[in-house]
Amino acid sequence: MFELRAIEKRFDAVVALNGAHLHVEPGEIRALLGSNGSGKSTMIKVLAGLVNPNKGEILIDGEPVEIHSGQDSRRLGIATAFQDLSLVPTMSVRDNILLGNEPCNKFGIVDRKAGDDLIDALLARFHIDCDPNAYVQTLTPSTQTMLEVAKAVSLKPRLLLLDEVTAALHYDEIEVLFSVMRELKEEGVAMIYVTHRMNEVFQVCDTTTIMRSGETVTEGKMSDFTLDDIVYYMTGQRPEKGDGTAAHGHFHAEDKTPLLDVKNLSIFPRVRDLSLRAYQGEIIGIGGLQGQGQSEFIRALLGAEPFQEGTIEYDGRSVAFKSPAQAVKGGMGFISGERNREAMFPLRTIEENILAGKVAKGNLFAYMTPKSNHAFANDAVEKYSIKIGELGHPASSLSGGNQQKLVVARWIAMQPKLLLLDDPTKGVDIHSRQEIHKILRQCADEGMTVIISSSESEELLSISDRIYVFYEGCVSAMLSGDKKTPEMLVAAMMGMTGGSQTSEEGVQS
Amino acid sequence: MIKNAFDRFRRSPAFAGFILFLVALVLNAVLQGPASFFTVKSINTLFAKNAPFIIVTVAQSLLLIAGTMDISCGVQVALVNVVIIMAGQTLGLPFIVCCILGVGVAVLASLACWICCSVFRLPALLASYALTYIIKGINVMIMDVPQGKVDKVFYKAYDSQILGFIPVSALFIVGVLIIWLYVRHNRFGTHIYAVGANPRNAFAAGISPMKVQLKAFVLKGIFIGVAGICITLMIASGNPLQAEDYGIRSLSACILGGLGFGGWGNVACAVFGSGFYVLIQNSVYYFFSLLVKLIPGFAVTSYWQNFVSDIIIFLGLLMTIVTAKGQRQALKEGIVRQFRRSDRHYDEPTAAKKGGDGNE
Repeated sequence: MFELRAIEKRFDAVVALNGAHLHVEPGEIRALLGSNGSGKSTMIKVLAGLVNPNKGEILIDGEPVEIHSGQDSRRLGIATAFQDLSLVPTMSVRDNILLGNEPCNKFGIVDRKAGDDLIDALLARFHIDCDPNAYVQTLTPSTQTMLEVAKAVSLKPRLLLLDEVTAALHYDEIEVLFSVMRELKEEGVAMIYVTHRMNEVFQVCDTTTIMRSGETVTEGKMSDFTLDDIVYYMTGQRPEKGDGTAAHGHFHAEDKTPLLDVKNLSIFPRVRDLSLRAYQGEIIGIGGLQGQGQSEFIRALLGAEPFQEGTIEYDGRSVAFKSPAQAVKGGMGFISGERNREAMFPLRTIEENILAGKVAKGNLFAYMTPKSNHAFANDAVEKYSIKIGELGHPASSLSGGNQQKLVVARWIAMQPKLLLLDDPTKGVDIHSRQEIHKILRQCADEGMTVIISSSESEELLSISDRIYVFYEGCVSAMLSGDKKTPEMLVAAMMGMTGGSQTSEEGVQS
Repeated sequence: MIKNAFDRFRRSPAFAGFILFLVALVLNAVLQGPASFFTVKSINTLFAKNAPFIIVTVAQSLLLIAGTMDISCGVQVALVNVVIIMAGQTLGLPFIVCCILGVGVAVLASLACWICCSVFRLPALLASYALTYIIKGINVMIMDVPQGKVDKVFYKAYDSQILGFIPVSALFIVGVLIIWLYVRHNRFGTHIYAVGANPRNAFAAGISPMKVQLKAFVLKGIFIGVAGICITLMIASGNPLQAEDYGIRSLSACILGGLGFGGWGNVACAVFGSGFYVLIQNSVYYFFSLLVKLIPGFAVTSYWQNFVSDIIIFLGLLMTIVTAKGQRQALKEGIVRQFRRSDRHYDEPTAAKKGGDGNE
């Protein structure tokens, strides 16, 4: 029996787990459910040894144990199939599966024969059709995921953790996976299964633990829960009775021409067929589980990533920007949640950081006086109430929330027609978040169009006029008006809408 | 069977390096004249002169696979040389003991680099570059001017051939490769690739990246020690300021041979890469002596030879970018094709879920 008690984990200001608990018995398949950011993956990582909790204890068969590394986790009989895979792409299938567990003879030489037998049996069990010598990077994402699971199973674990492994799998592969899971259950292996696909949960799981914002909300037998119950525990609200299909609110400005009109966009490999419209002065939210094509979509608009099919009409003409610089010239602005990687110059001063956008737009050799620069930066700092020491301090001296406000200020000062935000409030505290929302709303009222992608449902619901929900590279629902409820959003995020196409056509008609 | 093996080789990272090596080999043989190239003497000279460089390249490849590097390899070779000579000269130790001492010092120098790169996580390029100057300083402290000598028995033996045709210097290279072969086939041999390609995933698989890199650095230290012994036997004296360029040259030889930064390539890449390097320099030498013979009154300094051979090596490096790009492109197209194929599978159930409207 495996048990986690009162686990706490903080990443700086963000609380990922707050006294969460979880237990699982041998021969039990437990579903671990929760919406984005509820701490499911962190729980899995605690057991896998990738995250060390700040507080709490882990018990195996009633004995407290410490897990500090992947090695510890394996030694205790825990194997994990990770959502973002732990395969090494430049190594062969054989080497990947045996990694860290190679059978050796007495001279320390890896016993290829024994390894080959093991791998052949494993590939046959999972119906994986591939050459054991092939490099993993040449395989399809779904085969890679199956290998990830096979690798975990090959360790003959007592506890098997499966973190959203079915997201990339095909239906026949899921069937194979489930039959293997049932076999393992007979053998007495405990399993924790994380997924967003509700039908699978009812199909294969015995019990469930539901989490919300880092806490365990409820647990019990699967048969005691209905789908509505699960959504209730995940969101904290009862879904209204209804067929669950997303209808579409007609936006008030039907007769106006949209500022942005995207049709049938496809970007390899994540985005398959996306259509979206944005009108002037509107805030469009983009929701969905992680990795459903949100970032790719925004980067394609900006010209940072090429798209294969479809058209983008922006400001009355068809565009395909080749670089973000062109897009910025065309009046777009972009704010990334990856502050350090994509937006900040942490060692440069606050003033320079604010000016960066303005400089990019002006002439290369345009003369800028220190005085006007100073005034410009001061204005921005005051207007957006960024808490700074001095303009001359490095940007890294600011807190996460203020850094993000700085980036927002930089772009808004340039008055873009269309402002794109990719998960801008990641790791930003609640107060700064509200202020950023206020700034965005103000800008929209002044006629700016804002497209904001977020992994948090509450944020999307509170700020956007309309929400497009992405699911597996398509729009699964467009929510507006009274359809914009947490339950509808969660349902759409999990693809629980029948008519992904109809909703979109409705908007366009 | 043979076709299969060739096919595998064709797709292996070492293939481009092998072609370069072959071209350089033919070029060298033609320019020198096959009759004089394929003689025991000429082959022996080639190995004796270049064994240290080839061994350093093999050592460097080990680090590249493990996702790190050491530019100070070159001065470490000089360090070994200096230690061997001075230990014999001032302490009066027998030559073999001095050699073992030299290898030990090389391992220590390697560990210093490991501490910088793996423990403190400094960028390997910068850390080992800085280390170059520290080690160079130590070299000069141990031996201020070139001096010393090696017993005639030893350097004569290095320059001789076994059975009349196998150069002894080549045996050093073979020895290093045998060690590598053993290592490649135990667990460390796979772990090193995992750590180089993706330390996080290796960690998740229960491997300690720091420990694996420690082993890689120790092994590299031993190889450098062997290279140091070779260079001592080659010049039969001590010089604190030699071989510094081996560091950066071994790196470019690895890239020429098809090694990538971190987890891509194998030791054959290093062998072919350094072979190409050596043969091109040799060819250019013979090319210029040919010019001297053909054009009366033609005379240039040896700088021109270096210039031409360096340009050829630079072109070789450019080539690797082109081939790498081609490989990536082919790979991507392959994945797209697989993806499209599986996409069809994927659409069927989705369509069915929608009520199979008119699909049947």
